[in-house]
Amino acid sequence: MIADFSTIVARDMGIRRGGRWILRPTTFGITSGVVGLAGPPCSGRSALLTTLATLRRPSVGELELLGHDVTGPAGQRAVRPRLGLLPHRFGWAAGVTAREYVAYAAYFKATPKDAVEAILERFELTDAAELEMDMLPADLRLRAGLAATCVHRPDLVFLDEPLGSVTDPERDELIGLLRGLAPAVVVTAPDPAELTGWCDRVFTIARARLIESLEVSRTWSRVPAGV
Amino acid sequence: MSDLGRVLRIDARRTAPFLAVPALALLGGVAAWHALLPGVAYWDDAVAALFASVRVLGPASAALAAWVALREHRLGYLRGLSARSPALGPLLDLTLLGVVSLSAYAVVAAIVVVKTLLHVESGHPQVVGLLAGALTLLDYAVIGYLAGRAVPRLPTVAAAAAVTCLWGIVRPGTWTYLLPPPGVEHIHPFAGLRTELLAGQALWSLGIGGLLVSGYLWVLTRRARLALPLVAAAVLITVTTLWIHAQQRAPLAPRAFEYSCRQWPLTVCVHPALRSALPSLEAALTPLATRLSGTPGGFTRVEHRPDNDFPRPGHGVVYIHLKDLSPGYEHRAEQEIQISLLDARTCANPAHAAGVRYTALVSAWLLDETPPRMPDTAAARAFGRWAESRRRHWLRLHYARYRSCTLRGLDFRLL
Repeated sequence: MIADFSTIVARDMGIRRGGRWILRPTTFGITSGVVGLAGPPCSGRSALLTTLATLRRPSVGELELLGHDVTGPAGQRAVRPRLGLLPHRFGWAAGVTAREYVAYAAYFKATPKDAVEAILERFELTDAAELEMDMLPADLRLRAGLAATCVHRPDLVFLDEPLGSVTDPERDELIGLLRGLAPAVVVTAPDPAELTGWCDRVFTIARARLIESLEVSRTWSRVPAGV
Repeated sequence: MSDLGRVLRIDARRTAPFLAVPALALLGGVAAWHALLPGVAYWDDAVAALFASVRVLGPASAALAAWVALREHRLGYLRGLSARSPALGPLLDLTLLGVVSLSAYAVVAAIVVVKTLLHVESGHPQVVGLLAGALTLLDYAVIGYLAGRAVPRLPTVAAAAAVTCLWGIVRPGTWTYLLPPPGVEHIHPFAGLRTELLAGQALWSLGIGGLLVSGYLWVLTRRARLALPLVAAAVLITVTTLWIHAQQRAPLAPRAFEYSCRQWPLTVCVHPALRSALPSLEAALTPLATRLSGTPGGFTRVEHRPDNDFPRPGHGVVYIHLKDLSPGYEHRAEQEIQISLLDARTCANPAHAAGVRYTALVSAWLLDETPPRMPDTAAARAFGRWAESRRRHWLRLHYARYRSCTLRGLDFRLL
């Protein structure tokens, strides 16, 4: 169903790569909240995420984000400052501290310098800010990645398998953080079970088709996303 | 420090491209050193050596740039989803890569300049040649970077190096060797690079770089105002290509010079780029001049001439053609003078085969070489026993036969 106020609207949108469909033409709409996107590795999950984040163009169909048609450069230019994306293995090099990493992202997002300190504090990274990225434990590195992704307070955030490398005790704490990143958050995982229980909606990508799972526990859903 | 400066510094630390500077400088330095004429200090040849270094440095820079582009592609999530221009990230990368390539080039240029200055310098430093080399090197980096952005796969790094290396070695047309980096191996003394041709090559490189960078920025931003630099670069490339094509008949120009001479006991005059060779040439050629004195082949003046200039020796003047001062150059000069004494037409006559052997025996003495084995051992033995003064006297009497390769065994028995 596509609501008038949908954050993401895809109409007959399909993605092809190397002559085969990664996502067959499909129509869907996402309003707000935390949306899960599950699929095994190489199912096209990451390709769909980067397409939704405007870094790749859909092969067919239309895509609207935050009210802008992003199949053209004008729409992309308008929307990109309002998006955040954290890939599965976000590339960063040794020798750069967490603060420098977030400041680097803040520069490209044209965000004032004080936003860096604010988000480091919000993500409880103040003490670890001077540590180099590759010295940080997995959960703190993820927090630094999230801080860089959201330093400009985006309206729509895409996270590719963010919880893949964290342990269970840290997972629950991070889930609370993920839900508050932006009004709309799209998050992926290899298994739908990892998303069930805390995502408002869960889609599964299988055989190049996007299917919405109807069994979604509402435990976390009582807490509105973006808070 | 400004925010942009801070970001550039983070990029420099993150991608660590400056670690490549020593390796690039070593590659370019070795290529330039090999390209310099041995023992010759000639500014025009120094520019040719810089171009030779660019032919090696360029593909290496292209490979480095492709690799950096490959790595930076993964940062699209930060730099692509930006409130700033999408061109900012690539421009920062290109700035860093340009600084890295130019740093290595500066080291190579310093090596070439110091070597030229340490020897006796000659000619004029061609600053526009240095500039043409730098702009060409930047083109290589841009090509590698754009290749890495267009196809962000590991094989692109090798492909960028291979294709750009091929451009340095093989050219599609005969005149295209003049396009940067020009395929000149050496600039020998007496000839010089034409400043206007170097300027044309610099402008051609500038046009290629401008076209590639503004074209890529247009792809990223679709800004209409980029049409102006795009068209300007295309016009510049077209005009300079046509102009360079028209220069193919005379890429080098004769260069005015004044001989450097040593006056005693012989007058030996060489191109000033080879003036360090004067003492050894004087020492090597004086015994030959002494042995030939009193004969029609006697000489008191030796002149260094361009490769394509062969005046008739005579009136006590002989000519030598030295390209460089690689080991053995003194002996090569002696041999050239000795060969110039002989009548090529009569010596090539098969009827004078025996006379050629006797001439070789005398030539060996003139050049202080080991005498050749010959059937007439009696003549060889007799000539070998003679004192130096007797041989000189004998040569004065038999010079005409020596020159025409018509000596006989009898000539060595009768004196």
